[in-house]
Amino acid sequence: MAILECKALSKRFGGIQALDNVDLTVEPGRVVGLLGPNGSGKTTMIKLANGLLTPSSGEILVDGKKPGKDTKAIVSYLPDKEYLPEWMTAKQMMDFFEDFYSDFRREKAMEMLARLGVSADMRIKQMSKGTREKVQLILVMSREARLYLLDEPIGGVDPATRDYILETIIRNYNPEAAVIISTHLIADVEQVLDDVIFINNGRVTLQSSVDDIRGEQGRSVDQYFREVFKC
Amino acid sequence: MLGKLLKHELRATGRIMLPIYGATVILAILANLSIRLLDHEVGNLVRIFAVLIITVFAIAIIAAAIMTLVLMVKRFYSNYLRDEGYLMHTLPVDVHGLVWSKMIVSCIWFAGTFTVIALILALTGLFLTGTSLNEVFTAFPSWKEIIAAMHKEGIGGGDVALFIAEMITGVLLAGLTTCLHFYAAMALGHMFSKDKILLSIVFFVAISIVMNIAVTGYGAARLESFDHPLGSIEELRGLVNFVHGIIAEGLFIEIVRAAVMYAATVIGLKRGLNLA
Repeated sequence: MAILECKALSKRFGGIQALDNVDLTVEPGRVVGLLGPNGSGKTTMIKLANGLLTPSSGEILVDGKKPGKDTKAIVSYLPDKEYLPEWMTAKQMMDFFEDFYSDFRREKAMEMLARLGVSADMRIKQMSKGTREKVQLILVMSREARLYLLDEPIGGVDPATRDYILETIIRNYNPEAAVIISTHLIADVEQVLDDVIFINNGRVTLQSSVDDIRGEQGRSVDQYFREVFKC
Repeated sequence: MLGKLLKHELRATGRIMLPIYGATVILAILANLSIRLLDHEVGNLVRIFAVLIITVFAIAIIAAAIMTLVLMVKRFYSNYLRDEGYLMHTLPVDVHGLVWSKMIVSCIWFAGTFTVIALILALTGLFLTGTSLNEVFTAFPSWKEIIAAMHKEGIGGGDVALFIAEMITGVLLAGLTTCLHFYAAMALGHMFSKDKILLSIVFFVAISIVMNIAVTGYGAARLESFDHPLGSIEELRGLVNFVHGIIAEGLFIEIVRAAVMYAATVIGLKRGLNLA
């Protein structure tokens, strides 16, 4: 059964059509790149899957259910925002995640924090922007979720951090889960993807495996993306 | 899950409110000593210092009350409608749990602030007048005397219990509707993509106006249909029943007000959530 399914999904904000009649399915065990230029509808789709927005028409299902309390228990979400309360320490954040998510693995988070050299007693506000982003990622990837929704995890970070983030994702996700990484930085993520979804102006223009693109098009996903989205 | 939400909300707000209470108590002690000091022959510098402490104490009392209200608004706004909303709205809890946890904790701090301020002012009054607690208790008739007098007029313990229950319900409802008025305005204002704060203020004013018109209209209609004018109430028993009726009706109106604003808050957060 698909872990994520969109059926004729549309979302309108006033006069702007953010998503237009999207149909797609994502199977468990796949790492999927949700690829598209800025403003193409990637974040809107991820917010809809998290129940942070409601569809204007159509439906979105996570593990066969509409987004709600049950689906939130199996989705691990990394927004493209700094969303941790600044007054809390890393330890307090782990307490928080442990309280609300039964799939949170504290030892895993502690180990990743130690490897990063971040003290559990350090407050979020004392951390640099880069460290905060890494701590957010550590918390999200320390869950054994069934669906990881990572919105622009490598946007605006230096190449070394980019490597750290991708390595953290690949080394820590639950292999039976699906991982959806939304980004427009294709070259950096291409190596870790199984499938890609191209999205433009709120419409899905392609859903394919990376191998098929390479085999059929004879070029990398990055090269193909540049051609499809040429200005 | 509500218990966990309450635990984290108390932790988040307690780190602000408890130091405020502590500071207010310390200032109260210093202010009391300063007032006593002013009764004695002291130098001008000491007098200025004493007056300054008393002024700061007065400001602290007002600040504690204002801070309780500000914290109630700020926690809802920053925790649910700003970036922290990405964390809170993706927890496996329903929107009712989110709203109730904020309301309950805010009411706890309302009660806490009221208690702290009332105790400080009462103890300050006793301290300054040199009155002992024993004198206060003996100055008033005992509960037994009050109840005996009421019995004589046909008012039983049941009435007293009912009045107390009505009072507690009224105070609780007042706390909840105060929170919900702000929450509903913010939740509705943040359904829009632009000018969210301005729209929240507009909704706050609009809710006030609509509620006032509705309550005033209802009150006017009820006055016209009054079948028991005040002039005809001669017996105390009749008056008590009449007051119970008025209070019950007032509580019912307050419950309706709270339910409408609660529904608006839930709809705003569930159907219209639009985090920037």
